[in-house]
Amino acid sequence: MAGGIACRRYGLRRREGGMTWEYSEKTKQLFMDAVHGAPGTHMGEIADPDGFGEHGSIACGDALRFTFRCERHPSDPLQDRIVEARYLTFGCTSAIAASEALCAIIEQGGYSPVRALSITNQDIVDFLGGLPEAKIHCSVMGAEALEAAVFNWAQKRGVDLAALGLDITRQEQEEGRLVCKCFGVTEPYLRRKIKELGLRSIPEITNAIKAGGACMACHHAPGGLQDVLDEVWGRQPSGLITLPTLPEVRAEAPARAELSPYKLAKQIERVLEEDIRPRLVDDGGDIEIVDIKDTTVYCRLAGACAHCAGATGTMKLLVERVLKERIDERIRVIAV
Amino acid sequence: MSIVYADNNATTRVAPEVFEAMRPFFEDQYFNPSSMYEAATGPAAALKNARASLARHLGGVHPDEILFTSCATESNNTAIFGVVKANPARRHVVTTSVEHPAVLNVCKELEREGLEVTYLPVDRQGRLDIADFVRALRRDTLLVTIMHANNETGVVFPIGELARIAKETDPAIVVHTDATQTVGKLPIDLGGELRHVDLLAFSGHKLHAPKGIGALFMRRGTPCRPLLLGGHQESGRRGGTENVAFIVGLATALELAATTHEADEARVSGLRDRLERELVARIPLVEVNGGGAPRLGNTSNISCHFVEGEGILYQLSAAGICASSGSACTSGSLEPSHVLRAMGVPFTAAHGSVRFSFSRYTTEADIERILAVFPEVVANLRRLSPYWDAAANRPRPEAEGMLHGAPAGHAR
Repeated sequence: MAGGIACRRYGLRRREGGMTWEYSEKTKQLFMDAVHGAPGTHMGEIADPDGFGEHGSIACGDALRFTFRCERHPSDPLQDRIVEARYLTFGCTSAIAASEALCAIIEQGGYSPVRALSITNQDIVDFLGGLPEAKIHCSVMGAEALEAAVFNWAQKRGVDLAALGLDITRQEQEEGRLVCKCFGVTEPYLRRKIKELGLRSIPEITNAIKAGGACMACHHAPGGLQDVLDEVWGRQPSGLITLPTLPEVRAEAPARAELSPYKLAKQIERVLEEDIRPRLVDDGGDIEIVDIKDTTVYCRLAGACAHCAGATGTMKLLVERVLKERIDERIRVIAV
Repeated sequence: MSIVYADNNATTRVAPEVFEAMRPFFEDQYFNPSSMYEAATGPAAALKNARASLARHLGGVHPDEILFTSCATESNNTAIFGVVKANPARRHVVTTSVEHPAVLNVCKELEREGLEVTYLPVDRQGRLDIADFVRALRRDTLLVTIMHANNETGVVFPIGELARIAKETDPAIVVHTDATQTVGKLPIDLGGELRHVDLLAFSGHKLHAPKGIGALFMRRGTPCRPLLLGGHQESGRRGGTENVAFIVGLATALELAATTHEADEARVSGLRDRLERELVARIPLVEVNGGGAPRLGNTSNISCHFVEGEGILYQLSAAGICASSGSACTSGSLEPSHVLRAMGVPFTAAHGSVRFSFSRYTTEADIERILAVFPEVVANLRRLSPYWDAAANRPRPEAEGMLHGAPAGHAR
C-alpha cells in the first residue's frame, strides 16, 4: 500500500478534551443503519460461504467474522464473482461502520476474490470519509478479514495464490516470535505491516494494528517495536526517547530480634493457641492471627467477640498482656 | 429532546444555590483577599468563612488544615509528592490497583524516581483484603494512599479502618485518601471515623460546585512539602491567589450536601437499585460490577457480555442519555478499564461495561428513559456480534467458554 496511514491525509483531529465521536457523518450513518438493521446493510453470516475469514478477538476489544458468496464460474475459478458479503462484528462504532464499508465496497465493485485482494484498509477509510487516528486499526481489521476470506476461498476452489504471484502467507501471523504479547502480534506480521502501511513510529503502529497499545512493555524492549522499526527503516539518528532506568531495588534491613522471627512467631502462635484462645472460646468467641511482623501481631476476632463493643479492649487487655508476659515486652497487638 | 444526565461521577451540574453564592465575587467583590484596604475585607471574610465551613463539615477539624487547590488531581499530586519530598529516608508506598489515574500515575512516577510501590489487588467484587494490606506494610513504608470510593464501580474501601491499622503499626506512616467520589455523598468525619487519615483530597465539581476548585485536608503536623511555591497563601503550602468565588461555591455545595445528603442518598440509591433490578431482569447476561460490595448509592457499573461499550454509549447518546464506559475504545488506551481488569471481570464483559452515575437531580423519569432505551441498544449490538446467537438470545455455544475464562491480564 502506498503512502502513509490515513489519518495524516485526512487531517482528522482529536476533539479537545479527549477521545469522543470525531467520526465522519458517513461513519455515524453506517453504524446507526447497521444497529437498526436498515435495508441495504450487511449484518449477518452466509451459510456455507465461498469465503470465510476472521480477525481480532474478544480480548483485543474487536473481532470481525466476514463471509462472502460467489457466482461461480463453470470452468475458471479466477472468474468467480463476489455477489454477497456479510459480517458479524464485536467492536466499537467505527469497527462496525468499517465492516459495513468493507461489504459495501465489495458488493458494489463486483469483484472477483483475487481482485478483491487489492482492496486495502485505505479504501475502507476513504469509503468512510476518514477515520480518527486511534481508529485506523478498525479499517485494518476489515482488510485482514477480507484477506483471510479470500485465502479460504482459494483453498476451497483449489486456486494456488502463490502461483499467481500473490504473497498471502497467513501462517506468518500465527508463527514467529511474539513482539506484542497483549495483542498477540508476531515479528513477521509486524514487519510486513510496517512496510505495507508505511508505519514510521510506535504510535503509528499502535493506531494501525494495536501492537504496543496496552502494557507498552514491548516499545523499547530488546527486539521490541522500536528495534523492528529501526531494522525496517534503518536507525533514526536522533530524537529517540530514552526511558529513565529504574534504580536497583534495595534489600530490606535485616530484622533485629533476639529470637529469630520464625521462632518468635511460633511462640506467639503457641501462646495464643494454648492460653488465649480457650478463654475466648469459653465466651463464645475466637481469634485468628492474620500476620506477625517482628513483634507486631495482627489479629482478627471472630464469633461473639467480633461484634462486641469491647472487642478492641479485649484484644489489648487480654491478648497483649499475656503475650508480653510470656514472650516479649515489646509485643504489640493490632486488631484488624 | 431533553438530556438524561447519568454521568455524575465525571462531573455534576452546578447547583443554582452555589451559582448564586458565587455571583458577588464576579461582580463587586472582586478584590484580592490578601489586599490591605477596607474593600478587600469582603472577599477575605468570605474566604475565612468558607474555610471554616469546610472544616466544620469534614468532622470539626481546624480551618488551617484545609488547603484550597485547583482540582482533586492537584490535591492528590500535592499530597503524594509533598510527603515523599518531606521524608527522603523512607522509600515505600502502598496503594491499590484500582486508583484513579490522579494517584496511579503519580505512583508510577514515584517508581521511576526509585521508590517502591505496592499495588494491592482487589477481589471479583472490587474489595480489598485487609490481610493483604497488613502484609504490604513495611519498616520503610512512608505513605499509604488508598481511595475512599472507586469512581468506576462506586465500591467503598474501609479507609478509617485501614488508616487505624497503618497508624497502630507505625505512627510515622502517612495516610492519604482520594475522597473525590465520597465528599458530598458520604459523611466525612475526620474527627471521628477518619481520625487516623492525614490527608484527604477532593474536588468541587463532583458535588455540584464548579470545575476548577479542589481541596486538600492536611492534618496538623503532617510532614509534607508544597508543590506550588509562591506567595504566602494557604500558609505557604500552596501559592497562588485564592479563587474566592469558587472557594465560596465549594463551601456552599458542601453545606447543601450536608443538609440533604441523607434524603438524597436514600432516594438516589432507590432509583439506582430499581434500574439495576430491571436491567438484570430484562437483559440476559448482564452483571453489576461491584454489586456484592459496599457501594456508593449513586453508581451503577453494568457489564453486558459480548458487546462493546463504545457502541452502547453512541446509541445512548443518540437517544439523549449521557453515560460512560470502561471499554477500551473509550479509555484513550487500547485496554479496557484497569479497574474491571483488576477485579478479574472477563474480557467478554469488561469491554461492554457502562457506568451510570446519578445525583440529587436525577428523576424517576430519567430512570424510565434509560429502561426504555438500554435493552434495545444492547440487543442491537448483540445482533451484530459474532459471539451471540440472536435467534436464541444467548451466546453461541463456542463463545460460552469465554464467560469465565482468562480473567485478568492480557490477551493470548
